[in-house]
Amino acid sequence: MTDKPIAEEDYRRLCDYLYRRTGMSVSESRRYFVGRRIAERMAATGSTSFAGYFGRLRGNLDHELEHFVNAFTVNETYFYREDHQLRCLTSDLLPVRLSVRSAHQPIRIWSMPCSTGEEPYSIAIWLLENWPEVDAHNIEIVGSDIDTAVLASAREGVFSKRSLTRLTPQLTDRYFSQIDADRWQICEELRGSVRFSAANVVERNDTRPHGLFDVIFCRNVLIYFDEASRRVAAENLYENLAPGGFICLGHSESMSRISPLFEVCRFSDAIVYRRPLRGAQ
Amino acid sequence: MPLIRSTPSNTPPIEEPTEVNLRSSFADSRWAAARAAEHNPDSVAALAEALGCETDMRVREAIFTALARIRTPECVDAVLPYLRSDDASLRTAAIDVLRVVPKSTGARLVELFADPDSDVRLLSCELARSVDGTEAQRLLISLIETDKEPNVCAAAIEVLSEIGDAAALPPLARCQARFPDDPFIAFAVRAASDRLDTPGDRD
Repeated sequence: MTDKPIAEEDYRRLCDYLYRRTGMSVSESRRYFVGRRIAERMAATGSTSFAGYFGRLRGNLDHELEHFVNAFTVNETYFYREDHQLRCLTSDLLPVRLSVRSAHQPIRIWSMPCSTGEEPYSIAIWLLENWPEVDAHNIEIVGSDIDTAVLASAREGVFSKRSLTRLTPQLTDRYFSQIDADRWQICEELRGSVRFSAANVVERNDTRPHGLFDVIFCRNVLIYFDEASRRVAAENLYENLAPGGFICLGHSESMSRISPLFEVCRFSDAIVYRRPLRGAQ
Repeated sequence: MPLIRSTPSNTPPIEEPTEVNLRSSFADSRWAAARAAEHNPDSVAALAEALGCETDMRVREAIFTALARIRTPECVDAVLPYLRSDDASLRTAAIDVLRVVPKSTGARLVELFADPDSDVRLLSCELARSVDGTEAQRLLISLIETDKEPNVCAAAIEVLSEIGDAAALPPLARCQARFPDDPFIAFAVRAASDRLDTPGDRD
């Protein structure tokens, strides 16, 4: 069963369902990849037919939707992913934050979850390369993830060629050293300037000790959760945002569907969400 | 390099309010109390009472979230009245809670589908997604066979198309016949029928 290609109608139904539940749009070109993920999940759940597995997925039996999305999205992270949000960070978010806060405090940015570190390091490189005011401020970048294995990898800072695809050769030369044919390590200076920590976004006792942030990147994780967990995560993130602070979600995610706690902010490069300046603790 | 690395010890903590009480006059205190209540199943009655008089949207959200985390049958009773609220955020929050208590919510679907308020019936169709598929299909079929509101039927058809099987095809056709002049019902029935009339779709 695991090597049997998925039928066209089954593939369409699954993609349709995935889109409605997560907003993720899957093109025909990814059919083989999706088929493999389905085969893996069918084997893992002991499903003997697609219909049986699809019923399990739709019923979210034993959090199957989460497992499927995990299998579906794994290894999708890379440097400068959704870089329109990085442009938004330097063109809009940081200037707005600086207009309403003390210039003496460090600017705090949280990448949560950070996986193997591509996102927090991307933020660091982007700021150094694209923000003229970068030398005028102290900037603190924290990367957190529930998975301690990926955190260890993030601290080590070794990446494959595929992870660096979106970086120019000049940036790769400037910030990485090549280890072998397919591995590059990010420079020690950057490794030493990003703090990594273990935290589960739905555990308040994990999130609160991280303090208040000016900007939080929380991309492509809320889609994994059920309604209750999404609401808890939204409230935790709200508490960790400074009043007036911004949160960036993945392109398929909408905070408006999860919680009314945040204001929608439409900038030229991205739609982000903001903790209101008033009414916050 | 302008990038600095903090340590846990020099990170300024998030301040907790001095008082944590659902009846406090300070919203921050009530927010903290609602957030803390998620770990206490005995707090449902207090949360339900607080929800009835809470004016701060932020605190109301935290109360709904606590109820969604506690997820006992009493939580269903606490939030059901908000399905008929004029405030969309309250309706949405109530649905969030009801979805995570599928067994207790499923037991209330019969009365919800018979509610005189068509908006309640329409919203309740969404809840059928999270309850047992066979029973949900039976109830949705009953709805599309009898409900006089085309919007309610359209919502039921959409859900039916996702959780149902080919047994829903005749009722879908009869529903379309009840609204011969409604192009959207015709479209919805056609889309649902196409989806359900595929061999191997039944789980």
